[in-house]
Amino acid sequence: MLSSHIMAAAPVAAQHASSYLPIALQIVFAIGFVALMIFVSALLGPKRKTNDKLANFTSGITTHGNARQPMAIKYFLIAILFVLFDVEVIFFYPYAVNFKSLSWTGFYEILLFVGLFLIGFVYIIKKRALKWED
Amino acid sequence: MNAIILSAIFGIVMMLSSAFVKNTKAYKSIALVGLILLLLANICETYSHAWLNIPTFDMLEFSRFGLYFNTLAIACTILFSAFSQREIERVGRYIGEYFALIFFVLCGIFILSSYNNLLMLFIGIEIMSIPLYILTGARKENLKSNEASLKYFLMGSFSTGILLMGIALVYGGTGDFALVHHGQDISTSIAGAMNKRMSFLDVAGMILILTGMCFKVSAAPFHFWAPDIYDGSPSVFTSFMATIVKAGAFIAFIRLFAIREEETTILENAIIGVDWKMLFSIIIVATLLFGNITAIFQQSVKRMLAYSSIAQAGFMLFSLLSLNDTAKEGLLLYVVAYSVATIGLFGILAKMKDYTLAGYNGMAKSHPTLAFANAIFLLSLSGIPLTIGFFAKYYMLMAVIQTGGYMWVAIVGVIFAVISVFYYFRVIWSMYFKEGTVELKYPVTKGFKILAVVMALIIILLGAFPQVILNFLYF
Amino acid sequence: MPIQYYIALAVTLFSIGVVGVLIRRNAIIVFMCIELMLNAANLLLVAFSKTHPATSVAPLAGIDGQLFVFFVMVVAAAEVSVGLAIIVMLYRNTHSVDVDFLNRLKN
Repeated sequence: MLSSHIMAAAPVAAQHASSYLPIALQIVFAIGFVALMIFVSALLGPKRKTNDKLANFTSGITTHGNARQPMAIKYFLIAILFVLFDVEVIFFYPYAVNFKSLSWTGFYEILLFVGLFLIGFVYIIKKRALKWED
Repeated sequence: MNAIILSAIFGIVMMLSSAFVKNTKAYKSIALVGLILLLLANICETYSHAWLNIPTFDMLEFSRFGLYFNTLAIACTILFSAFSQREIERVGRYIGEYFALIFFVLCGIFILSSYNNLLMLFIGIEIMSIPLYILTGARKENLKSNEASLKYFLMGSFSTGILLMGIALVYGGTGDFALVHHGQDISTSIAGAMNKRMSFLDVAGMILILTGMCFKVSAAPFHFWAPDIYDGSPSVFTSFMATIVKAGAFIAFIRLFAIREEETTILENAIIGVDWKMLFSIIIVATLLFGNITAIFQQSVKRMLAYSSIAQAGFMLFSLLSLNDTAKEGLLLYVVAYSVATIGLFGILAKMKDYTLAGYNGMAKSHPTLAFANAIFLLSLSGIPLTIGFFAKYYMLMAVIQTGGYMWVAIVGVIFAVISVFYYFRVIWSMYFKEGTVELKYPVTKGFKILAVVMALIIILLGAFPQVILNFLYF
Repeated sequence: MPIQYYIALAVTLFSIGVVGVLIRRNAIIVFMCIELMLNAANLLLVAFSKTHPATSVAPLAGIDGQLFVFFVMVVAAAEVSVGLAIIVMLYRNTHSVDVDFLNRLKN
């Protein structure tokens, strides 16, 4: 039924395609105007490049070191584990939708699923992957 | 079902035992016991004792052929872990995890030998490949291994993306992921939709799936990743990847097209201008050409074996072209012949210091047993009569001839089989007729030698009586 | 909207992903392009699931497409974790994630 609805809507949408023309024009003008302004101001504006001007302003204190400090590798490990455990929650959505109709069988199966997760979690703890200090 | 569930459970057991068992010697024993139990469980299921029968809503279908393939795959894995156990222990510190990953790979292969739904195809392929990315990079401090791992990962997930897009398009064309519907109106399944006429979406999707699968089995023109990765990963895991895993990918490949041909006449009719068989023939010839010609120029034996595995994949693809009973039997024979020989060659190679051809010089003098086993393995790979490799190639060519109309592909196959003899015999030549000393990196134990000879004898015995393997398919 | 629009969008995204994988040299960006390919397929699956509604013969039609997407997302997460681990391992050894830098195997 849904599909027939979609199919029926097709010619209407095709008709409407032409009525999007003003919006398209507006987008073209908006982007064009911004691009033109940036280009013109870069062209006309004064340019004085000196080392002092290009350097970062740090209130007179000389800079030292790099702002991009290497991050602890532990961080990545925990982030990776988080991604794994986080995404698996997705399987609870279909279960939640069919919670009533699946009744106890569904509950046991979801328990099995969570149980497998717990095994993985025990493994992680046992391998000391979550320890920050070594 | 037995094999799928048990392999997953044993994977978890290995994982936990690596966390709780401190004795590193224990892992391989646990793994071997697990593999043997797996073998027994699978054989029980073949003779209709399925203990773990879970309703799969027709997503999986356990046929005799698929179950027998499982048996062969497990048997080859047992041979592999018995033959290369010392090498697995030498790869790194995480021995329990390596075995756990091998079990997970097996689980993926079992799904691939019995899927009946494109969802299961996708999941099986992923379960099979993701652990392999890790195994490839198992030598964490070795740059070559790291690089191979990254390349394999990028190429593998790229091909997965292509495969997935293909599945999405096929779904769009047919409205279903199931390959065959049991007890339902046939016209709702993919097969039914195919019967009418493949839509444009279908054809586009099938071509993308074909591309993705060609990536996985390293068929030309998507073979370029294979040599680098086989060369870079630790030799033990190369032998696992090049044999059992490749066979698993082949089973999935064949199954997809075999089911479709069984249900419809799709492959016989040229549908909207795409003649599938012609496409397969071109892929086969290109794979044979690239694999064999580049293998000739390799100086490193490991790299030569990598290219030869591409060439052997070309031969296995013959079964895709014919898709009849002979082709299925031939594929099983080929899996056994190729896996046993390659596992043996890599097992001995992993013990050596020098992987180049010159490294094999004079092996017959210093290590006559190993040289003998090596020679038998190479003879089998090149398809010399009285080895199982001959019958494997014979069945493949026979299957193509039976289909009719593709005689020229069979002739090209014979020509390339003759060419392949050249580079396999170079190794035999340098082992027996060149002077030199073979330096081994690791000592060879007596058990290792016995196992090597046993594997050589398996090849010869099966070469004399190939029916032994095939009889189990029917009785 | 007609399904053709969705197909066009998904195919465009997919092509961007493929081109990115082929021409970019940074491993992380190549990886992002692969994710783009997977998600283009996801989009297409969801779009198709609406054009194949459930009937009495196939009561699950339509839903299976959306369920497939769940599986793809989970598999993609597994791939992400393995892939990032590999990239981190490589970075520790080479201090680079450039794919071109990795050409030791070709010799």
